[in-house]
Amino acid sequence: MINTWTWFIWIAAVLIALSVTRNPLYIILILLCLFLLDTQLALKSRITNGADDNRSIPVSPFRIALMLITLSAVFNAAISHYGETVLFSLPTSFPLIGGSITVEAFVYGALNGLVLFGIFYAFFILNRALSVRRLIRVIPRAFYPVAVVTSIAITFIPNTIRQYHQIREAQSVRGHRMRGIRDWLPLLIPLLTGGLERALSLSESMSARGLAASTANQEVWWGRIMVLFGLLLLLIGWILTLFTDWLLFGSLLLISGIGLLLIVLWLIGRSTPHSTYILEKWTWQDALILSGVAAVISALLFPLPFIDKETLHYEVYPTMHLPGFDPFIGILLLGLLMPAILIYISNISVQE
Amino acid sequence: MLPKSIRLSSIAIYSATFILGVLSLLYPFISSAIVQNTPTGQAGFGHTPLMLTVLLSLSLVVLIYEVQGQVNTKVIALLGVLIAINASLRFIEVGIPGPGGFSPIFLLIILAGYLYGGRFGFLLGALTMLVSALVTGGVGPWLPSQMFAAGWVGMSAPILRPFVQRTSSYSNSKNQSSRIELLALILFGFFWGFLYGVIMNLWSWPYFVDPVGQYGSQGISTIELISRYTSYYLLSSFFWDLSRAFGTALLLFAFGIPILSVLRRFLHKLTFQHDQTNLQEHQFQAAIETVLKDSIHIPQ
Repeated sequence: MINTWTWFIWIAAVLIALSVTRNPLYIILILLCLFLLDTQLALKSRITNGADDNRSIPVSPFRIALMLITLSAVFNAAISHYGETVLFSLPTSFPLIGGSITVEAFVYGALNGLVLFGIFYAFFILNRALSVRRLIRVIPRAFYPVAVVTSIAITFIPNTIRQYHQIREAQSVRGHRMRGIRDWLPLLIPLLTGGLERALSLSESMSARGLAASTANQEVWWGRIMVLFGLLLLLIGWILTLFTDWLLFGSLLLISGIGLLLIVLWLIGRSTPHSTYILEKWTWQDALILSGVAAVISALLFPLPFIDKETLHYEVYPTMHLPGFDPFIGILLLGLLMPAILIYISNISVQE
Repeated sequence: MLPKSIRLSSIAIYSATFILGVLSLLYPFISSAIVQNTPTGQAGFGHTPLMLTVLLSLSLVVLIYEVQGQVNTKVIALLGVLIAINASLRFIEVGIPGPGGFSPIFLLIILAGYLYGGRFGFLLGALTMLVSALVTGGVGPWLPSQMFAAGWVGMSAPILRPFVQRTSSYSNSKNQSSRIELLALILFGFFWGFLYGVIMNLWSWPYFVDPVGQYGSQGISTIELISRYTSYYLLSSFFWDLSRAFGTALLLFAFGIPILSVLRRFLHKLTFQHDQTNLQEHQFQAAIETVLKDSIHIPQ
């Protein structure tokens, strides 16, 4: 099984890749990697569960792609009137959208839609790959009340839906019919009252089992001061980078603030007592995926001598032209495909 | 740490996270002024949409850390159950989409925030978004801004209380709701129906529209930027948000008073505290003896 943190690092690499380029060829390559991974995950789900148990929204990702690309292209063309290839012009007296509608604005909008779809698709895959239980487990220890609340809520959702159906059946037997919005009241109020009664008995049983009131982060007084200090560093650093020429100093303060906040929350979390029931291991599969991620990051962010990074910066305006393509960047981007290859091998071995 | 210094540090943390959150959302407007001032006219580090998501996530994390500090088992259990009810409503919303941006989840967030306080409202709003995203597979970069906006809805609801107390015969102990209270809540829900959309659009604007179309180009005044954002908002979301605003107002009108009275009834049960420090040993023994006498019949 691939480690949860490996998945997070992988998705961070996808987000970085989608953020640094507007070259349609690279974006399509990234989307192809995502599509192949999605296919393998769906196959794995069918092999292990007998059906695709994807819990995501009941709309195909490709419909969402079509919607995002179309909307983005239309909005951009309507709002942004830049570009030299004019398709047609709307009278400037038209409020908001008056002016030239250009091919360049359409294409730039469509590219933005493609990037947005890539971000959406990457998270769609993450939701498919990681169970709710694994996602809750990564909530940091400093936030254990939040983790407990989330666990309770997720446990109670099926109960709530079941209770809703029971109430509806009981009210139907009494002759209740849904005619208007007010007719929802006899369903909502018992549902709410029942839920609140359950909350009271749950809190009593939690207290009886020794889950005391949480005052942990008030007792850690140094934590509060350091959190405040980290926030101030972050705020001042960001303001400096935005409003002054002290870019380096501002960036340093910004990064120090982010680092301080993360370290303080980690240290506070360490002082929280906890029990670990399932310990996720790091395996050679994680090492392979991380090496793929390292290849992608090095291609996109580091100045490697054999790479033409200019091809990443594709600019549609003022006149559209064909995008460039560096095969080395293309090969290194295929590092994102590593989870798909590993899941494919695992699927083959299970089928055999 | 003394209670006064805790309160002061709390206020400072709330203020800092609020400023950071608002600045992150308004950064495209700010960034235009900066780009004009830079020699190259190019936006740099700190101006990217990804930076917005990172800063917003961090301020959300710190705010949740601060707010969760004073929850007890009753609040944890109550939050868990109310979030389950709210997430179920959102589950239904995803399965059977209502008109436009209509969403039933703001009803409970507003009413519970109004009655149980800003901290509770914030956690209910933010965690409803988190849990429903986990359940429906909606985890993504949009989640921090959704959590922030929904949290702010609940956190801001108690600001209605002083107004309602001054203008009506509102009485918490009598479990009564006045017409003024209902009207205030309806207007509040209508207002947040729009504001939620505006906040979510501020988040999506830098991702959706090209830099030339919004900020980034030299010589654009703030008024021009606001007009560009307005055109983006009116084109993309106005009618969507209108249905959310009307939907929330309608739900508050139809269910506001009955739900408030249920929540008020439970408020007394939830605020009950067993004060062990004032319970003397002889009082405790006397209480035990009374209970035993009442419950056990000893034959003579």
